[in-house]
Amino acid sequence: MDSELAEVRALEAEIAVLRPACEEPPAPGGDAASVRKSFPEIYQSDSEGWESSKDLRSNLGHLESELLFLSTLTGISIRNYSKKTETLTSPEMAEKSIKKVLQRHRLSGTCHMISFQLEFQILEVQNKENLSSVITDLNIIMEPTTTYSELSEFVSRAEERRDLFMFFRSLHFFVEWCEYRKRTFKHFKEKYPEAVRLPEGASASYMRVQSTSQPGFELVIVWRIQTDEEGKVVPKLDLLTKVPRQALELDKKGVVETAAVGFRALLSVLGIEAALESLLSVLCMEHGGQSPQ
Amino acid sequence: MELEKALSQDESKGGVLAHLEKLETQVNRSRKKLEEPQGAQAVESSLGTKIRDKLRSEVKQRQARVAVRDTSVEPDQTLEISEQKAWERKRENVKAILQAYRFTGLSGKLTSRGVCVCIHTAFEGTLLDSYFVDLVIQKPLRIHHHSIPAFIPLEEISAKYLQTNIQHFLFSLCEYLNAYAGRKYQADQLQRDFAAFLAGPLQRNSLCNVLSFTYKVELRGQAFTFCARLLYKDLTVTLPTDVTVTHQGMDTLPTSWEEQRASHENLFCTKALHKVFASFTQREKLDMSLVH
Repeated sequence: MDSELAEVRALEAEIAVLRPACEEPPAPGGDAASVRKSFPEIYQSDSEGWESSKDLRSNLGHLESELLFLSTLTGISIRNYSKKTETLTSPEMAEKSIKKVLQRHRLSGTCHMISFQLEFQILEVQNKENLSSVITDLNIIMEPTTTYSELSEFVSRAEERRDLFMFFRSLHFFVEWCEYRKRTFKHFKEKYPEAVRLPEGASASYMRVQSTSQPGFELVIVWRIQTDEEGKVVPKLDLLTKVPRQALELDKKGVVETAAVGFRALLSVLGIEAALESLLSVLCMEHGGQSPQ
Repeated sequence: MELEKALSQDESKGGVLAHLEKLETQVNRSRKKLEEPQGAQAVESSLGTKIRDKLRSEVKQRQARVAVRDTSVEPDQTLEISEQKAWERKRENVKAILQAYRFTGLSGKLTSRGVCVCIHTAFEGTLLDSYFVDLVIQKPLRIHHHSIPAFIPLEEISAKYLQTNIQHFLFSLCEYLNAYAGRKYQADQLQRDFAAFLAGPLQRNSLCNVLSFTYKVELRGQAFTFCARLLYKDLTVTLPTDVTVTHQGMDTLPTSWEEQRASHENLFCTKALHKVFASFTQREKLDMSLVH
């Protein structure tokens, strides 16, 4: 009897121990999400400075929209960026309390259809009076180089001058001119579909204009986009003529010969679009063709 | 025997707590029975053992489940940490890219009503001052504040492009500011590093697009003073568009000096101002080494 009673009491004690053990943790197989939800709080209280992942995500979202905005504003998208810094020391520098820091930057991105990769170094020198930052080395890789051979010109100039800002400025204006050239070529192709030929597409640097009634006569408008010493982007247009020999012999006044000079004069007076328009309208009317409306 | 039934039934239906409660009531009941004088001892004894066994197995199961849950929670937590870390890395990366925009010459920060654009300047690799334009984004776009110097034709540029082509507006402003910063830097460098050459102060206007100075030149033991006047007609350039170098003193220069004068004019047109003077000092050194 006693032993049985003792056994029952022992069981009661076991139940007493078991009860809290069963109450404490959440039910087995219970909601895993509740663990996840409570986790950031534990996280935050455990180590100061950690933020909740919700805040982190909304902060990231804000920064990402800022990034998108900046790339729209500037037309330049930076895809990747990394930086390494190295503090240069020497006893002499310590004596004069000069601090030198060498930063190595890698940056890649796109500006419209052109992609770029840059590597540059900035040497920061801090002395008692001032802080100077100088780009000591600049390397630029651009793509596609074949489509835009004009690019290599200002790339090498920017590298030589270590002028990072000039590079981006020139790139922006270059792209702007390319877009304008493309729009203009397309416009004339649409307006004069019979006469205008774009054998390498609207993005190429030239447009062929063929007389519809006299197939032997052809004009080639070459539109280059050049950069000068200071990185300024300037358009350069030239007119080339293709005229049959017999016609040349008849050309006593040398009209064909002076066409290129005349075209330049026209450009300076009318501007690019109007000069091309007047040239094309004359060419298409002259041979009895009707100028499309 | 209903007790045994109860013991075997509950497992699937109730939770562990419910089961424990039942067990508790069973035990209480059995105790009451035990305390009754005519208790069927054998039954009670076997029942007690059964309850105990049942409880022990329950505890074991319970412990096993808790152990499983613990280990299954741990990967969840590490997943959470790595996810958090990934988000943080991503954020740091975006932050760094935002900062890297300054290397394009244009960076910016969103404000409550628009954007504050920062325009950075440099001259041949030397990073110089930055300026800001605080834009209110509404129709039409409006400049709220700015730190552009008064002599930069901001109004003219904004009238032309601000409403129609903001990119063009910003890059044009970059052109003007970088050219101004570049001209100023060259004049400053000349004053700072080559003061010994200058006979009198360097004169300049606020835009630094008209510079004039008098400088000493020595050639084969003879000393002359030249006056240079540099004009930058185009405000977006850092090399002068018009250069005149004249001499003081004699009306007609000996041929060798005339050549010098002309070559200086050419140098000022094609090279940065302080670099022209740096080339003078190099030549002087060269001359000296030839003499000695």
